[in-house]
Amino acid sequence: MKQLNQTTMRRLISIGMLLILVILFTILAGAGHGKFFNFDNLIEVVRDASVPAIIGVGVTYIIITAGIDLSTGSMMALVGMTMANIYAYTLLPFPVMILAGMIVGLLCGYANGVIVAKFNVPEFIATLATMSIFRALTYIIAIKDANGVIKSQPMNHSHYTWLGGGIGKFYYVIMAMIIVVVFGQIVLKYTRYGTNLYSVGASKKAATLSGIDVAKTRLVAYMITGGLVAIGAVFTTARLQSATTAIGMDFEFSPIASAVVGGVALSGGSGDVIGTLIGALFMSTLENGIRKLSINTAFQYVIKGAIIIGVVIFDATYKTRMDRKAKEEGAKEGLE
Amino acid sequence: MKKINWSKYSKPIILVAFVIALSILRPKAFLSLDNFSNVLWSVAVIGIMVSGTIFVFLIGGIDLSIATLCALSAVVVVSVTNMLGGGVGAVLLGVLAALVTGALAGAIHGLIITKFNIPAFLVTFATQSIFLGLAMVLTNNKIVSCTAPAFTAIGAFKILGFPLPVYFMAIIALASWAVLRKTVFGRYVYAVGGNPVASEISGINVRGASIMCYVVSGLTTALGGVVLASMTQQASAATGAGYTNDVITAGVIGGVSLLGGEGTLPGAIFGAVLMGLLNNGLNLMSVPSTHAGLVKGLVIVVAVAFDAMNHADQSKKKVKKFKKTKDTAKESA
Repeated sequence: MKQLNQTTMRRLISIGMLLILVILFTILAGAGHGKFFNFDNLIEVVRDASVPAIIGVGVTYIIITAGIDLSTGSMMALVGMTMANIYAYTLLPFPVMILAGMIVGLLCGYANGVIVAKFNVPEFIATLATMSIFRALTYIIAIKDANGVIKSQPMNHSHYTWLGGGIGKFYYVIMAMIIVVVFGQIVLKYTRYGTNLYSVGASKKAATLSGIDVAKTRLVAYMITGGLVAIGAVFTTARLQSATTAIGMDFEFSPIASAVVGGVALSGGSGDVIGTLIGALFMSTLENGIRKLSINTAFQYVIKGAIIIGVVIFDATYKTRMDRKAKEEGAKEGLE
Repeated sequence: MKKINWSKYSKPIILVAFVIALSILRPKAFLSLDNFSNVLWSVAVIGIMVSGTIFVFLIGGIDLSIATLCALSAVVVVSVTNMLGGGVGAVLLGVLAALVTGALAGAIHGLIITKFNIPAFLVTFATQSIFLGLAMVLTNNKIVSCTAPAFTAIGAFKILGFPLPVYFMAIIALASWAVLRKTVFGRYVYAVGGNPVASEISGINVRGASIMCYVVSGLTTALGGVVLASMTQQASAATGAGYTNDVITAGVIGGVSLLGGEGTLPGAIFGAVLMGLLNNGLNLMSVPSTHAGLVKGLVIVVAVAFDAMNHADQSKKKVKKFKKTKDTAKESA
């Protein structure tokens, strides 16, 4: 019962942070046409949050097992560039192209999972390495012009770019995000795999002893992330109507930051997908608001970094306080 | 028949193999005097940085902000030097300002990480973005150049045929080695990395020692930035790009465990030499820098996987040994 109260509390805090941010930007950047607070712009915020939220579902699984994935941005570029190659050089139908992208995403996730789970390389260093490997592979397979200079490959066939649009303002990427988040939450809360994720995150030793295949659980989490990254890459390239080597630069932090803001503890074993969705909305509101304030782009890096540190510090202090409180209350009950 | 312990000689063997391979593949380009000094410069910058960041690795931490802190301090030294007119005094003050920037950055890392008990990679991943932003703000996102002779001398001045940065590296590496091997603080660093809880209980100021390690790392990173700026006679937000991976890789292939508590300075310097050669080799083989990430990433994965497997082997051996002694004790009883 206590645990439930704590999770509800944390959920309310993340919703509160999101609301405060929205109110703050409404005051600073204004409401009305062309400003921050209006229907079109708020839909835009949700649209921008969709890809980080989709990928964030997989990253949430990984973080729940006490892992991390820094390679999602580069992976997205690699998937995008793979599809661009098929687009440019073959006459294969678009579903086949997307399928190929999915396979590349799953393979990338598999590579991460094997390095981490089978070879026991620390997650952040393994995915830091694959981050540069995937990016380098993207450059290697990048499409070049006659002089050998890398160019951005247009992918503007209407049979593909419709994915970047939507029914009116209800974009397909938002629909996909809702489906992925709902499905992700159900898997996490109501399937054995979801329970295993929490067990592995709480204690790898205890999980092994209770018969959970820890390596497989982690490997699958990385593969799910790979698959979701591929979905993110499809929507990103369809929206940009092109594929470049720069896709996903500095992206890898968004799903992680979303998860942390949403209450997924980096120490593993707690948090859920809905929290990450709120976190993704928080991050995209932040970026949109800063853009609307038309602050120098350089300052955006500073503000983003500072806010992430602030949130992480908050999360750490909040967690120690709650742990202490739970302990004290437990001691009290023991005395009575 | 005595078994030769190959792992003991693996480092020199790798190094020699690398040099031979490059001499065969690119004999003219690799074995020239010009190229030799290119390698030296590259090694010096990585060597200077890894001599400080090894302290962070040894306590089980990490610094992902190396590249952008390098950029920020490069920008600071160039801006201050230009602002004060470019004389010797201006250069000295500029270098001082850059070093203060580095030390401050390190202190902030250390304080946040130890005070709130947050993973180091997360804090430094966030500060990476902050430093990049600050470097862009200071330069207005342009390249600032400085050709004052007193400034360019830092990177180019030669004594006995060797450029100054090589001497910097030698001095800093020696100092770092002495601190790690001969001082109480050095012992503390290894103890904290090996087992922070036990260190705390045995009366070591774990927090103070950790903060100190991050400050040292910040200082050497800043010095690396100064040397880089002086060598290229310019600074921008892109100065030092790629050095985070290079420095971490140098440490890891030098046998420094990222799990903390293990590794030596000579090992790290060996790693720096190998990274310098690798960079040079990729350059000579005309591998574009955008593709080099593939090779370097693979090197990191393989080196760390070896380290992790080694650890697993050792703990298995320990368990076996423990069981054996337990059994013999039972038998004798």
